[in-house]
Amino acid sequence: MSKRKQTRVRTRLFLGLALVAGLPFMGGCATMGVDPLERGILAQPEMTFEFRANDQAFDDHIYFSKEASSGGRGFGGGGCGCN
Amino acid sequence: MAPHASLRGALTALTASLIGSSVAQAVGPNSTETSILIYSEKDRTRATEATFNYNKALKQDIGLNLRLTFDALSGATPTGASPSRYAQTLTRPSGGQTVLVPAGQHPVDDSFHDTRYAVDATFSRPLGRLATGKLGARWSGEADYRSLGLNIGFTQDLNRRNTTVGLSAAVNHDVVSPVGGFYAPLSEVGSLDNETPDERRARFEGKEKNVYDVVLSLAQVLDSKTALRLSGSVTRANGYLTDPYKVFSVVQGPDSTDPGEPITALYENRPERRQQNAVMAQMKRQMAGGAADVSYRYFWDDWGVRSHSVDVAWHVAFVRRTALIPRVRWYRQSAADFHVPFVIEVGPLPRYASADSRLAEFQALTFGMGCLVPVKPGTQVNLMVEYYRQRGDVPPPDALGTAVPVELFPRLDVIMIRLGYAHEFF
Repeated sequence: MSKRKQTRVRTRLFLGLALVAGLPFMGGCATMGVDPLERGILAQPEMTFEFRANDQAFDDHIYFSKEASSGGRGFGGGGCGCN
Repeated sequence: MAPHASLRGALTALTASLIGSSVAQAVGPNSTETSILIYSEKDRTRATEATFNYNKALKQDIGLNLRLTFDALSGATPTGASPSRYAQTLTRPSGGQTVLVPAGQHPVDDSFHDTRYAVDATFSRPLGRLATGKLGARWSGEADYRSLGLNIGFTQDLNRRNTTVGLSAAVNHDVVSPVGGFYAPLSEVGSLDNETPDERRARFEGKEKNVYDVVLSLAQVLDSKTALRLSGSVTRANGYLTDPYKVFSVVQGPDSTDPGEPITALYENRPERRQQNAVMAQMKRQMAGGAADVSYRYFWDDWGVRSHSVDVAWHVAFVRRTALIPRVRWYRQSAADFHVPFVIEVGPLPRYASADSRLAEFQALTFGMGCLVPVKPGTQVNLMVEYYRQRGDVPPPDALGTAVPVELFPRLDVIMIRLGYAHEFF
C-alpha cells in the first residue's frame, strides 16, 4: 500500500474511532460542567480559548511559514506564499 | 483607576455568569486591537507585521470581525543548496545574478524581499438562543502570491452552555507567480538561455493551488476552574505545492576526488496533492494564582511528515490586573518522504525531491515572556518577547558516510517582539 493510501486509511480509521469514542463522551458531557453562578473564573478573559487572538494569529503565521505542520485548532493552509 | 478596573472585571464576570456565556465564545463588547510583530532571524530574514483587529456589534445581533494585516519581509533565506568545503559561486533560484557563498556556509538568496497585505472579514450571528453561525472571506496579496478564501462556521451550546460543539470549513484559491518566473522542476539552475518570447510568457503564467479545510471542535467546562477543548482538522491541497525558490544540490559520488562536494543545483519538485491532519487538546485551568494554558497537537500528512507540539503558557495576574505570561513551546517533526539533503551524481534522479529545511527532521523550541498592563478601564497594552530556535540533524546518505564535513541543517535562531494595544468601547 502506498504511503498516501496508508495515510488516508489511517485518517478514516481515526475519524471513525473518534466518532465511536466521542458519542458516549458526549453523553458524559451532560453530567459535567457547573451552574451559571459558578462561572465567574471561567468568564475571565484569560480563561477563554479566544484570549489574545492577535497573538494566536501571529503564531499560526510564523509556525506555518517555518514548519511543515499547521492546523489543529483552525484552518491549516493557504493564504500565504511563505510555505 | 484600579478599583474601577477590578469592579469592571467583576461585573463582566458576574454578567457573563448570570447570562451564562458559552465556554468557547467570549461575549465581549466592541473592541479593537492593534499589534506589531518584529521578527528577526540571526543573519537572515527580518519581518515586520502589523495587525489591526476590529470587533463591532452591528444591527440585529450581527457581529463583525475585521482583521487587516500588513507584512514586510527582507533578508536572506536558505535556498536548499548544500554548503561546500570551498567558496562557491551560485546562480540565484529566481534567475539571473550569481552570488558568492563562503566555504562551509549554507547558500542563501539575499535578494528576497516582499510585502503582503491581508484582509479578513467575518460576520457572525446567533441562530436561536444557543447556536451561532459565521461567514467569512479573506484576501491576501504579495508580489508573487495571491489568495482568496471563503469560510463558514457553526457552533452549538449544549448542557446549560457547559459544552460547545463547532464545525467550520474553508476553501482557498491561491495563485503563485514567482519573481523570475517558473523553471522546469528538476532542471538545472542557471541553465536556461535563448528562450523564445512565447516560452518566456508561458514561464511567467501563474500557477494555481486550491486548499480545503474542515475543523471540528468540542469545548467542555470540566469544573468551575477548568475548561477543555478538543479539536481536529483535515486539510486537502492540490495544485502547485512546490516552492519555486528552492533548489537541491547534486554532489560528487563516494568514488570521486571530492565526495560530497556540490557540482550543480536543480530546482525542487513536490507532489501536486497533500492531505494534512491534526488533532489537538487544549486545557485552561485556574491554578496557583494564575491561568494555565496547556495544549498538545499531533499532526500527520501523506508526505510522511509527523509532528508533536506542546505549548504551555501561564497567565499570572498581579496588582491592578497587571499580568506576566511565561510561555514555552516544544516542537518536533519527522522529514517528508521526498526530503533529501542532496542527490549524488551517480544514480537515478528521484521524481520528487526537496532540500527545504522545513521538510527536514528537526526540533524547535520557543521561550517567551509576555506582560499585560491595563492602562485604564477597557484599555491595555501588551508586550511579548520570544526566542525561537530550530536544530536539525540531517545525515548524508549512507554512501557518503562521514565524507560530508559540514552541518547540513541550517540552524535557525529568531527573536520575536510583539507589542499590542487593546481597547474596548461601547
